[in-house]
Amino acid sequence: MSIILDDVTYAYAGTSKPVLRGVSLNIEPGKVLGVVGANGAGKSTLCLCAVGIAPVAIGGKMSGQVTVDGTTTAGAAIHELAQRVGVLFQESQTQLVSGAPSVWEEIAFGPRNLSLPHDEVVTRTWAAIDALSLVDIVERDPHRLSGGQAQLVALAAVLALGPRYLVLDEPTSQLDPLGTKLVGRTLARAARETGVGVLIVEHKTDLLAQHCDEVAVISAGTIVAHGPAMEVLGSESLPDWGVAPPAAVSLRRAAGAAGLDWGEAWT
Amino acid sequence: MIAFAVRGWTAPLVVLVVMLALVVWAGVFRRYLPYLAATALLLVSIMLVNTFLYPDATDVLFSVGPFNATGTGLTAASQAALRVLAFATSVALFALTTRTDELVDDLERRGLGRRASFIIQTAIGTVPRLTERAREITESQRSRGLNTEGGLLARVRGLVPLAGPLVLSSLTEVEQRTMALEARAFTAPGKRTVLRAYPDSGAQRALRWLLFLGTIGLVAAELAGLLAWLP
Amino acid sequence: MDVTDRPGIELTTDDLGFVYPDGTRALANVSLTVAPGSRVAIVGQNGSGKSTLVRHFNGLLRATEGRVLVDGDEVGRRHVADLARMVGISFQNPDRQIFSSRVRSEVAFGPRNAGLRGEALDARVAAALDQVGLSRHADTNPYDLGFSERKLLALASVIAMATPAIVLDEPTTGQDANGVRLIREIVAQLAAAGRTVVAISHDMTFVAQTFERVIVLRGGRVVVDGSVAEAFGEPSWPLLESTFLDPPLAARLGARLGLGSTPTDADFVTAIKGRMNLSHDG
Repeated sequence: MSIILDDVTYAYAGTSKPVLRGVSLNIEPGKVLGVVGANGAGKSTLCLCAVGIAPVAIGGKMSGQVTVDGTTTAGAAIHELAQRVGVLFQESQTQLVSGAPSVWEEIAFGPRNLSLPHDEVVTRTWAAIDALSLVDIVERDPHRLSGGQAQLVALAAVLALGPRYLVLDEPTSQLDPLGTKLVGRTLARAARETGVGVLIVEHKTDLLAQHCDEVAVISAGTIVAHGPAMEVLGSESLPDWGVAPPAAVSLRRAAGAAGLDWGEAWT
Repeated sequence: MIAFAVRGWTAPLVVLVVMLALVVWAGVFRRYLPYLAATALLLVSIMLVNTFLYPDATDVLFSVGPFNATGTGLTAASQAALRVLAFATSVALFALTTRTDELVDDLERRGLGRRASFIIQTAIGTVPRLTERAREITESQRSRGLNTEGGLLARVRGLVPLAGPLVLSSLTEVEQRTMALEARAFTAPGKRTVLRAYPDSGAQRALRWLLFLGTIGLVAAELAGLLAWLP
Repeated sequence: MDVTDRPGIELTTDDLGFVYPDGTRALANVSLTVAPGSRVAIVGQNGSGKSTLVRHFNGLLRATEGRVLVDGDEVGRRHVADLARMVGISFQNPDRQIFSSRVRSEVAFGPRNAGLRGEALDARVAAALDQVGLSRHADTNPYDLGFSERKLLALASVIAMATPAIVLDEPTTGQDANGVRLIREIVAQLAAAGRTVVAISHDMTFVAQTFERVIVLRGGRVVVDGSVAEAFGEPSWPLLESTFLDPPLAARLGARLGLGSTPTDADFVTAIKGRMNLSHDG
């Protein structure tokens, strides 16, 4: 059981040029897949397709197919897909949509919509709050949060849904280093302990190096590299694809460029 | 309704006293005062118009220029004023003691439906959301030299740079918000889990029925002329 | 006198404190100096007061304690529109300021408010667009651009004001590798033109590579204020750790190898080579 993108080509409604071309990727349960690429390469579109929002909710032309646990997204009902695949978009403040007066109720919105038993709703909400250290702001008005706080709350709201898969589009963009670490740990734990399959789009390659099992690079709508995280992130072509390598890789490369063999440097 | 339906002094006076007692008991007297102030203008005009211009009244009390203040007029004025005051007080009481989200929640539990409650809550939340956004926009534009502290012309010129991003972002967001709603299973079937059960004791229910039936009864009695003996 | 003729200006705070109307304290006893024409990064966790601090430099916020000086003059109650000619601030979210239907007019807004017209205005706009690499989009609708390009547009619109000091609030958020490199180049160009550049950032590697000095805020107070080498050197680590910040990898590795403070890859390589030369000679 996994999310399978099979040779997906997709163009937004009203446009003729496909943003994704022949993309094939799997999101496996219990694994974290990182996706990197230059801005405009199609990372966000990839997320929309993996979740089924493209084409079901926003139209557009898709060839190839996307299946979630065996069901094709094209004919599915969005709310059913939503139960299986949690998605976090880039703009965090627009995702706090519940209209609820407090952060706690915002996070509880998803489980409530699923008509889960009362105790279940409460448990899940508190679990998400604890995982992302949001205890101090549970009473706050969601409209008055800072960008970073809103981003963490939005993630908590998705986690509370208890989906089998998570598709996250730059979930740490507005977070400070502590927040970023927290998110990385939470995702890794979700994959390891509850078998959630995670797809995370990020520019922070150090974060991906730490937590991803595999990494895929997307460039101009196609997957140009895909494999074990350290292999892909150590690739020489990363800068050509508009991606900054992890710090360790840059450092080693800088030393190499200056004529230092890495072994030599350690004397 | 009782205050308006039944003629004479008693009804509006009783209602007003009860409402004021409730206001004080709920501890909202200070927040009630602005509501009171809001009705002031209306009350003054009612008093003046009725006292001086009551048709066919002959029991003149005193005169101001060509206008005669009549006893009948004064009585009518006071009763009308009391009615308005009673009504305004009951409205204020409701507004001050009911939390909209609790009200909407309860209504939803009784069958209002999640869409309606969502619309109401989002509508209410629009103001703080847009206020916060407007504040951010104002900061950015002022930092680019937009003069918000000048005369009228300057402020009018500032309208587009201030309102523009607000409107634009609200519009471009609609699609994102819709997708986010779907992603949070908003359109899933079934009844949403109830978070809070609002205690609705037998006593409260009985009181509601009593008030309801009582009002109908009083209005009927008034129409049937049974209450003519009340002052 | 055209504002571009002025050299960079000094930004100073003297025991600055700020308390919000609802009573929350955001800054306490902040005393710092940003030298004219220097490049300074302000870092710290979310909520440490970074954004609050910089808003004092153009008057958006007024000190509740202490003083703020721009170019030696107290900010006091001077109008934001006035101070905006001296200190430009580029905020994080471009969608909270873009209102024109064309990139070109958006960039023109700031300098026009400062009094520029006609050819001088056009030249200023063209130069700013060129600097951020958006010249080919001069007549595009901003919302036809991607988010990271809109961020560059917002930056251009502040650069175009040619203020002697410029503050960048998280300039690299959401940028890919090319975008980050562009921002680094822009900072270098601004500094080369003599402007004082202050940036808020969460990216320690970007900070180490791009700036001269680092100020670390924690709980509204300054805990570190020094050169990049000092701020990321081993003696500062406990302070950095106390606010959950990690020095760049190059700094950590350099310290572990006993090479002193090597905040950037280049510093590290230089230090290693230096050490090797010594050992070869010895």
